[in-house]
Amino acid sequence: MEPVIKAEEVSKHFGSFVALNAVSFSVAPGEVYGLLGPNGAGKTTLVKILNGIMKPTAGKAYVLGKDVATGKNREKVGYMPQETALYLDNTVHENLLLFGEIYGLDKGTILKREKELLDFINLSKWKNSMVANLSGGMRHRLSLACALMHEPEILFLDEPTVGVDPELRVSFWEYFYKLRKKGTTILLTTHYMDEAERCTMVGLMRNGKLIAEGKPDKLRTEIGVNTLEEVFLHYARGMEK
Amino acid sequence: MKLRRVLAFTKRALFQFRHDKRTFAFILAVPLLMILIFGYTFSGEVHNLTVIFMSEDSGLNNTTFPFFPQKEINLSAGILKNLDRDVLNINVENVFEKAKSRVENREAWAFIYIPENFTRDFVAALIGSGNGSKLTVYLDGSNPTITGAVFSALSEAVKKSIEEIASQNVTQNFLSVERNYIYGSEDTKFIDYFAPGVMSFAVMMVTTILTIILFVNERRNGTLQRIAATPARAEELVLGYALAFGIICLLQSCVIMLTGVLLFGITIQGNVVLAFAVFFIIGIGHQGLGILLSAGAKNELQAIQFIPFIIFPSVLLSGIFWPVESIPSVLQPLAYLVPLKYGIDAERSIMVRGLGFGDVWIEICILLAFAAITIAGSTILLRRKE
Repeated sequence: MEPVIKAEEVSKHFGSFVALNAVSFSVAPGEVYGLLGPNGAGKTTLVKILNGIMKPTAGKAYVLGKDVATGKNREKVGYMPQETALYLDNTVHENLLLFGEIYGLDKGTILKREKELLDFINLSKWKNSMVANLSGGMRHRLSLACALMHEPEILFLDEPTVGVDPELRVSFWEYFYKLRKKGTTILLTTHYMDEAERCTMVGLMRNGKLIAEGKPDKLRTEIGVNTLEEVFLHYARGMEK
Repeated sequence: MKLRRVLAFTKRALFQFRHDKRTFAFILAVPLLMILIFGYTFSGEVHNLTVIFMSEDSGLNNTTFPFFPQKEINLSAGILKNLDRDVLNINVENVFEKAKSRVENREAWAFIYIPENFTRDFVAALIGSGNGSKLTVYLDGSNPTITGAVFSALSEAVKKSIEEIASQNVTQNFLSVERNYIYGSEDTKFIDYFAPGVMSFAVMMVTTILTIILFVNERRNGTLQRIAATPARAEELVLGYALAFGIICLLQSCVIMLTGVLLFGITIQGNVVLAFAVFFIIGIGHQGLGILLSAGAKNELQAIQFIPFIIFPSVLLSGIFWPVESIPSVLQPLAYLVPLKYGIDAERSIMVRGLGFGDVWIEICILLAFAAITIAGSTILLRRKE
């Protein structure tokens, strides 16, 4: 099957700092692909390049077969950035309305999606509250809802569960699988090992490089260890040698 | 209270300035800028007002009057000579219609016209024949301060000229000055002149400052980058905000205009819709400027530092208080670079002089060009990627 997300030798330099070093990988439709790695590994940079909001120093990125530099297919992509990135001086409703309108949804669809998503993220009661008055966890949930308004085919989630309580994390993952069933492809970043276990594919990143890639259980059995953490350490040490 | 802890806080704050050299430079540069600009421009008096002078008087060959010692007397030449060149910038014209049109075209504040036989009629009245002589001033009376300055210079010159030709005190009653208002009237108050300037300034300031802070916040929150990942285009964002600010400007202008009319009794001579349209254009142009400037600020603290650099040139150079020709000539070219100047000129022509689109289209075009440049610039800026 044609990959829906593809990076070809993508590099990103900030001055002399190499944030990404010739990363190549691809994601097949319907996968939940997790980029796993410590802070500073280059996960967020990679997601921003795949989103087209950052230009790679070298290499090319494709989403749904189109070079992201062209800006095409954006309406089929949803993005939840690491920082909450919401309009704090607007209400929950106004934020969802803005994203609905940006993606060209009609009024009826916006209201329908808003109701579904607010029920899911448990914020129905807060619909008319200012975002500035919400807790960090609530903002995080709203941020996810904004990315989901237009039911995107491809979903980029940058650290979607940071600061989310365990109960809600479980419901987030249930929702991700539900989306996957509907055909949505998800690329997410995480530094939680247990979360990476739930992905259908993982890519291990360190110092701007993709050091290993595969299905979680396959990665473990290949080198005969019990956890992804051990897999990560195995490849990290290999990289140092 | 422990001194040591107090000093610890002092040190921390000073360290912050050491890291942020720009803020430190700002602290030094602003008072310097203020003193320089105020010192140069704000003398409280008006200078260099362009006034047209035309005389058809040919003087008088004097042989008969004992109180005029000279042989040749020419009162109009005396007035021309004695007009204060520090206050007035005199241009002599020979064609009446051309001279008058220069006031109509707002190239000059006044036109002093001295008719034929001016000296002769004055002298005749002195010896008991006729009503004396009369000179006429055609005025742009939109600024009462300037009207006042022109007349005080003129009456000073008249007085001196009579003294020069007469050996003894002679009365000035035989010389009358007729005022002919091209714009404004005797009822024009300073607030009438001042109000369009203040309104334009308020529109400009609020939009520029709000946009800078708004966009610095958007950059910091990550919303700007998030929007960049959506199908929304940079120009949609810029124009969307421009429209929002344009509407805010209109509301703002309504409030100030109503206050002016109801509270201060200002009169609006021209088309109110045209006046609002100009406020709208001033607003969107400065919104674009705000976005451009926001790129130069990393946080709200740095954003605020732009404010004096926007406010002072506008307050001092755009002609809110005194006309551009009263600014020292070294600084005058700078005034023409301040977009607000054209906004104020246009609003004044519409609101005080009662002129229409045909008379202010140049100013409007300049404002539109400014808006187009800043909006295009900010679109390019927002499209730029890391």
